Amino acid sequence: MPTMRFDMTRRAALGAAIAASTAGLAVRARAATEIEMFFPVPVQGKLATEMQRLIGVFNTQHPDIKVTPVYTGSYDDTNFKTRAAIQAGRPPAAAIMSANFIREYVIDSAAIALDELIAKDGGTPQGFMAQFWPALALNATDQGRVYGVPFQNSTPLLFYNVQAFKDAELDPEKPPVTWQDWVDAARKLSKPGADKWGIAWPNSYDYCGWLTSTLAMANGGQYYDTAYGGQVYYTEPATVAALRFIHDLVHTHKVVPPGVLDPNGTTAAFFSGRVGMILLSTGALGFIRDNMKQPFRVAFVPKNVVNAAPVGGGSLIIPAGNTPERQAAAWTLIKWLTSPDIAGQWSRFTGYFAPNRAAYDLPEMKQYMAANPNAGVALEQLNRYGRGWFATYKTVPVRKAMEDQVQAILNGDISAAAAAARAQSDADALLRPYLQQTALKLPT
Amino acid sequence: MSRRALPLLGMIAAAAAALVWAVPFAWMAVASLRPGVPANVAALWPEPPLGFGNYLDAWQSGDFPTWYLNTVLVCGGILAVQLVTVTMAGYAFARLRFPGRDVVFVLFLLQLLLVPTLLIAPNLTTIVALGLYDQLPGIMAPYFASAFGVFLMRQAFRAIPRDFEEAAMLDGAGVFALIRHVLVPLARPSLVAFAIVSVTFHWNEFLWPLMAVSSPSRQVLTVGLASFASGSEAGGEWGVLAAGTVLVAGPLLLAFLVFQRRFVSSFVFTGLKG
Repeated sequence: MPTMRFDMTRRAALGAAIAASTAGLAVRARAATEIEMFFPVPVQGKLATEMQRLIGVFNTQHPDIKVTPVYTGSYDDTNFKTRAAIQAGRPPAAAIMSANFIREYVIDSAAIALDELIAKDGGTPQGFMAQFWPALALNATDQGRVYGVPFQNSTPLLFYNVQAFKDAELDPEKPPVTWQDWVDAARKLSKPGADKWGIAWPNSYDYCGWLTSTLAMANGGQYYDTAYGGQVYYTEPATVAALRFIHDLVHTHKVVPPGVLDPNGTTAAFFSGRVGMILLSTGALGFIRDNMKQPFRVAFVPKNVVNAAPVGGGSLIIPAGNTPERQAAAWTLIKWLTSPDIAGQWSRFTGYFAPNRAAYDLPEMKQYMAANPNAGVALEQLNRYGRGWFATYKTVPVRKAMEDQVQAILNGDISAAAAAARAQSDADALLRPYLQQTALKLPT
Repeated sequence: MSRRALPLLGMIAAAAAALVWAVPFAWMAVASLRPGVPANVAALWPEPPLGFGNYLDAWQSGDFPTWYLNTVLVCGGILAVQLVTVTMAGYAFARLRFPGRDVVFVLFLLQLLLVPTLLIAPNLTTIVALGLYDQLPGIMAPYFASAFGVFLMRQAFRAIPRDFEEAAMLDGAGVFALIRHVLVPLARPSLVAFAIVSVTFHWNEFLWPLMAVSSPSRQVLTVGLASFASGSEAGGEWGVLAAGTVLVAGPLLLAFLVFQRRFVSSFVFTGLKG
């Protein structure tokens, strides 16, 4: 960095010597706050390049701030790196964090509440959150305080192959609405002997937990405590029945291929016509649109009791340990990235929802929605049935406690009731320390 | 009969093992040439249309020249320092007598039992304190001393008869001349074996470089490759992913082919497995 400082003093000297306009440049250069933003790339495509372009635009528009976008791998890697950087005393000023990790940042005081920054702009936490889709507040706030600003969001969605529906004498205009419809349609689409299946969805880590919670919620369950990080409801009747539903789909109805698929395997099976219906993220809309040769459409996730779609995705946070100056710069960046215009651009590029509702009032966005009716279905599901995303103390291990059991169900190793009991006891053991510090600690 | 059948069976078994090992690589090569998302991604047979479009896509998705340069600098820098430290420490443990030698050696070996992930936070704190955060030397620093390398060199030096050293000392060689001109040449196979293990490990390492540097201009290959590989929500473009993997693994595979004979002989010599 010494060369740069030399450069700036030289510029300053030059400015002072020559003219007021050059002096202005020198002041600007000296005052620029340099910050980094960590960002993951959870969907395919040249997103990293697009993010760099966006930040370039921001830097030109805000000469007093210089943001370096740092690509940090997956959501998990980003979390790990942000934690390590905080511990090492070099936190980034902003990070795009998986929305369900925010609860742990709150528990550990590793992210700052944004209420003060909102108040400085003359706003209130409630007023600030009102610009986003209502379901997003569950993962972005805690006790009425704002910790995350939603940036990119998705829900699970049912994708179905229109041609396969026609071949099986199903009406592509009437996708399955209930679980009964779903199983009936899947039976018609399946030929287990010929390796043709009705339904598939990814059950690799992360996806498995997300979609298992989707089915539990569609069966009327709560799955986890949205208000407190110390409890999960893996053995509530609705969740156990949802697990039995998964078990039956594979082993009784034989309409879901046994074993564990990852997202790549799921889309590959859908593209090749091996599977007629898949559950996948709305974030995959663009990818499937670009690569699917046969016609496809999307529908709400089928329900047994209620429609439900837990919202996944990423929010911007300001990690703890930043100076007020860096916080202010990060706040300017966060507001810019989540503004209707930029959020809309990012949404059209990625296929994610724009969390900012006003984005959908812009002409470019109206055009895009008219050209992509599938995106409209996804948005309607979010708006009507959006739910919070699984978040607890130690979210990832507690999530895995269930995922390991679901994978065992898919492989035919365990019954639904036994799987639920084991998942719950593993989760309870993980949550115990936090419970003891909180709910179990009573006045003496 | 049996005398002739045995080598033949061995050959067949080796060929079968080689085939199993080669299948993923063959698939990677074929997949990297298929444009778009083909109907049957698992197919091994290269059917047209084939092309280099994926390589172009992969190359344009990231700053490969910078990543190559940084990776080579990191692997080379680590190895250069390691060769000095493991030789010196190996000699000390093999030949010198000093109080507490065995205790220190056991402590050294204990280090092999630690999962590297465990040390990420303390290592990060250390390199921040040293002012090496977000610098290439910051990636290298934790690896300058290698317990595995020290152990390997100690064993190699101990296997060398003392007569050689005594003869050299009679001719007036000092400790450093002894190490340089007598012990190191005799222990070269072990050094080469260690170098391969070291370079392969650091070439492939992901987590620590991800933690230790932030600036895009100091990123290494593995971290860059992750931008193709982590399509967790959508599912992957296999072709681009395969092409990116070839670009990352290619130089190492090529180096191995070029120096194959040398590598194999040193592994046979030391009885090490890669």
